Amino acid sequence: MTFPRFLLLAAALLFLSSCTHHPDVPASSHEAECLPAIYPDYCNVTVPCNIAPLNFMLPAGDFEECVARFTLPDGRQQTYGDGVKVQIPEAEWHAMLNLSKGKSLRVEVWGKTKGEWLSFNPFEILVAQEPIDEYLTYRLIEPSYAGWSFMEIAQRNLTSFDETQVFNNEIACDDRAKGQCINCHSYQNYKTDNMLFHVRLSNGGTVIVNDGKVSKVDLKRDYTISAGAYPAWHPTAKLVAFAACMTRQAFHTAHPNKIEVFDLASDLILYDVATDSVSIISNDSTLLEVYPTWSPDGKYLYYCKTVPLPEELRDKDIISTYRKVQYNLYRRPFDLATHSFGDEELVYDAASHDKSATLPRVSPDGRYLLFAQGQYGCFHIRHSDGDIACMPLDGQALPSVDLTNLNSEGFAESYPTWSSNGHWIMCSSRRGDGNFTHVYFSYFKDGKAAKAFLLPQEDPESDTFRLKCYNRPEFMIEPVRISIKEFSQVLQ
Amino acid sequence: MEVNPRNKAAAVILNVSLLAFIAFVIYILYINQEVLYTAHDRSEFFIGASYFHTLVSKPFGLMQYAGAWITQLFYYPALGALVLMGLWTLIFLAGTKAFQLQGEASALMLLPVACLLASVVEVGYRIYISPFAGYWFSQSLGYLVMLLCLWAARCTPRRWHLVWYLLAFCAYPVLGWFAMLFVLCLALLGKPTWRELLGIILLIFAAHIWRVLLYSGLNAEDVMLAGWPRFATAHDSGTHLSIPFQVLAAVSVLIPLCSRYLSRWFVPMICAAAGIIFTMSLMFQDRNYIDEMRMVRYAADDDWERVLHVAADTPKPTVTMVMLRNIAMMNEGGLLERSFKLGNNGGEVNTPDSLHVRLLNIASPLVYYNYGMMNEAIRLAYENAIRTGFSPFYLKMLSRCAHASGDVKLEERYNTLLHHHLFYGDWQPAPVSETVQELQHSFPDELTGTENSDSYIVNSISLWYESDSKVASEQALFYAMMRRDSRRFWQSLRKYVRLHPDGKFPLHAQEAYIMFMDKSPEEKRLMLPVEQAVYERYKQFWETLERQARSNQQLDKIGETMREDWGGTYWWYNIFGRKIY
Repeated sequence: MTFPRFLLLAAALLFLSSCTHHPDVPASSHEAECLPAIYPDYCNVTVPCNIAPLNFMLPAGDFEECVARFTLPDGRQQTYGDGVKVQIPEAEWHAMLNLSKGKSLRVEVWGKTKGEWLSFNPFEILVAQEPIDEYLTYRLIEPSYAGWSFMEIAQRNLTSFDETQVFNNEIACDDRAKGQCINCHSYQNYKTDNMLFHVRLSNGGTVIVNDGKVSKVDLKRDYTISAGAYPAWHPTAKLVAFAACMTRQAFHTAHPNKIEVFDLASDLILYDVATDSVSIISNDSTLLEVYPTWSPDGKYLYYCKTVPLPEELRDKDIISTYRKVQYNLYRRPFDLATHSFGDEELVYDAASHDKSATLPRVSPDGRYLLFAQGQYGCFHIRHSDGDIACMPLDGQALPSVDLTNLNSEGFAESYPTWSSNGHWIMCSSRRGDGNFTHVYFSYFKDGKAAKAFLLPQEDPESDTFRLKCYNRPEFMIEPVRISIKEFSQVLQ
Repeated sequence: MEVNPRNKAAAVILNVSLLAFIAFVIYILYINQEVLYTAHDRSEFFIGASYFHTLVSKPFGLMQYAGAWITQLFYYPALGALVLMGLWTLIFLAGTKAFQLQGEASALMLLPVACLLASVVEVGYRIYISPFAGYWFSQSLGYLVMLLCLWAARCTPRRWHLVWYLLAFCAYPVLGWFAMLFVLCLALLGKPTWRELLGIILLIFAAHIWRVLLYSGLNAEDVMLAGWPRFATAHDSGTHLSIPFQVLAAVSVLIPLCSRYLSRWFVPMICAAAGIIFTMSLMFQDRNYIDEMRMVRYAADDDWERVLHVAADTPKPTVTMVMLRNIAMMNEGGLLERSFKLGNNGGEVNTPDSLHVRLLNIASPLVYYNYGMMNEAIRLAYENAIRTGFSPFYLKMLSRCAHASGDVKLEERYNTLLHHHLFYGDWQPAPVSETVQELQHSFPDELTGTENSDSYIVNSISLWYESDSKVASEQALFYAMMRRDSRRFWQSLRKYVRLHPDGKFPLHAQEAYIMFMDKSPEEKRLMLPVEQAVYERYKQFWETLERQARSNQQLDKIGETMREDWGGTYWWYNIFGRKIY
């Protein structure tokens, strides 16, 4: 064979191998009379009209092959399947979504086991008219205890599978003995021209992007108990509310929750980006204030605050009182002209229901308040009873919105967020295996949430092999454009 | 044609030297087979795009990925060793071609092989604490590819060398520091011209250019030293482990310069001897190091008989060995009858530098698992795996912990990861033993800090005296004795006696009982009958001790003097044992 012929053959093989596999539907099969146990579970979910392909697979230990047939509303059909995986090319998938907006895709799945085909009950994928924000940021980190190694803040394009690094903890780490931790990425109004994240330990500080310009600031002042944490950008002004916390963690010797994270002290502070000044919002030394968030109009600051402990527990250390620490949700009006806060208003009295409410987020239309809720404490992602709750902000005193479709049974959910159009709720959850957090989305309309679905991956098995948690997921409507190198330059 | 007797003798010397060196390599790999098994057990490797991209996103990552894949073969140490020797044979052959070494001078290639061999057997206790992504093979692979490139370059006309320099520059993401070594070797092969000068300039700027082009998200040091093994931990530099690579680079540069002067009959002998001496001088040699690895392997397989067998042959065990042996006795019986006879004086591991490796790094998840302390086992498996990689050892431990905790989905996930390993295709966690199940429910939940010290486990278990588990009561009694804690001893003895109403009063418990009756200040004691012979021996022990003390010797000296007669008693441990617990 001549060299040009060899090249031609190799190119042809490469082309063929890159072609999508459209297998035939099995000629005969037995009916399983149940929905397929696909991973991720995309049966009867509602998805945005611009989401990346919902690739899935049947359990490799139980099946040898999988074929899925997608039927569009106009009756056209296409089949996919390669081994036990169904991976749909992005272009074909987006064409299907475009044709199915406001309607649904019908999916039939066949699985081959021990040489025989089983046909499962068909399911539907409802395609919502409303798109999801195009980008998502998360920190990728192992489900760590006290130690960590490599960590990165990554951004993912939700309409495709593209994932790029925003920053990592190695490039600007000069002191390997100290190490470096990066966390708390935050954006103003879902945009990236004004954003920040924290760098702790080696070359520590808060990296702030102000109208596209990067700088590092130290938020610790001699009148604050710590630097800032849990940031919340004001929606219109160059102001960021933070909690200033003395956070600790401890480990259960036998309880399945394994870890407790708690604050020994925490206050709220306001950082003025323009003047580099830090002012105290509240610093009640007897109570803990944390997780600030702004209303979409910027006129209120919502936050969590503990209720006083019973008299007999007040002098005890946190190890003996942590189960009694419960947070309520409050808000204070904010005057943008004077940067002053009004009187505190109780928004949700969680403690009176023997609950603790954390991480509030107001919907973009200002009508709903999402938060995480558990029996005690401020770190529900470590509590198997941690769930997401939602209350209408129409004067009701209870989280009356039914989020059964979003929450899981017996696994922690936390860190709820709204998409910029208010139709998609995102949260992190340990429901996959109880240990690693992943990102889930749920369609929200007219006060109702649809069944949650997992962040799609190109290879549905990749979440199994990626031993990382998706930490602090945040929506963005545009990508972070500043390079890692530019970020690192302000740190060194 | 008649062969010159002198040439014949030189050929014989060459062949004998090569054979001697080969025999030496086989011997060294044979005595280090437990190290090779541990190398696979503590090396991370995952099939799949995610792990591949993680490695390949850094220069030299492809070599590391290939090396990590081949490291799986050390599951059967002989198989992995065979591949390693095959690579070194190819290096020898490719080197003789690349450097155009003929006759006796070809023995010079034994030196790079010796460097690579030394790099494998010098690692020592760092095997437990450094992230060795593909280390065991990637350097040999990189060097082999470098030599093959050099061979190919030398087969092309000199005017084409510029192309090779450019190729070396392009190959930097794959070959890392070996691309630089290639340029240096090629440039030194002949009289320098402007092409060689260009090669050197490329060499100087290659890493920097690649950082700008492709690796702007990486730490500068990681790009500049791509592929160069670094052993620094947060608290230790480990620079001496780089010696084989420094020598490898130096030898590779010197061979093209000196080879023409080294075609002498004695060169093979010198090269073989130098290789042997070099390897032996760098090889980590410590009997406990190997025996500890065997014990960890047997303990991970729940093969307690073999753990005890190794322990019986170990006069001065490390803390890890003592812990594993006591777990073996918990499972096989005889803990309170034989443990102090075998010695509970666990020592620190023997490391040549400031490296601090201990039970935590070597086998802590395994120890905690066997004491039913799943949360600690999981935490420590994670703490270690995050730093050193999710290797089979940690995945197996995490799977076993998930199995014991009833976390089915998590167990499936770890098993899936293991099933993609070449030799763990059918691996399933062993059933949870009754002992582990009993211990799992024998202590209350409480909050603790990051308790990573060796003493934490001893302290925790000595507090189990409130449990109604028979196994837990025996452990609480034993660890109260280990702590020399008379208060906890009386509490745990009471519980032990109540839960073992018909049992024999074990020898070591009798020894501790007599001693604490005699010396400790507690008032609420327990009256139990002891064997007269044991009591008599206690009196003799104390008389001997008082006699020795009158001789004004230091306590350590007295302990050593009394070890032979009394080293197997609890009394000796109580007075002279190291206070590490």
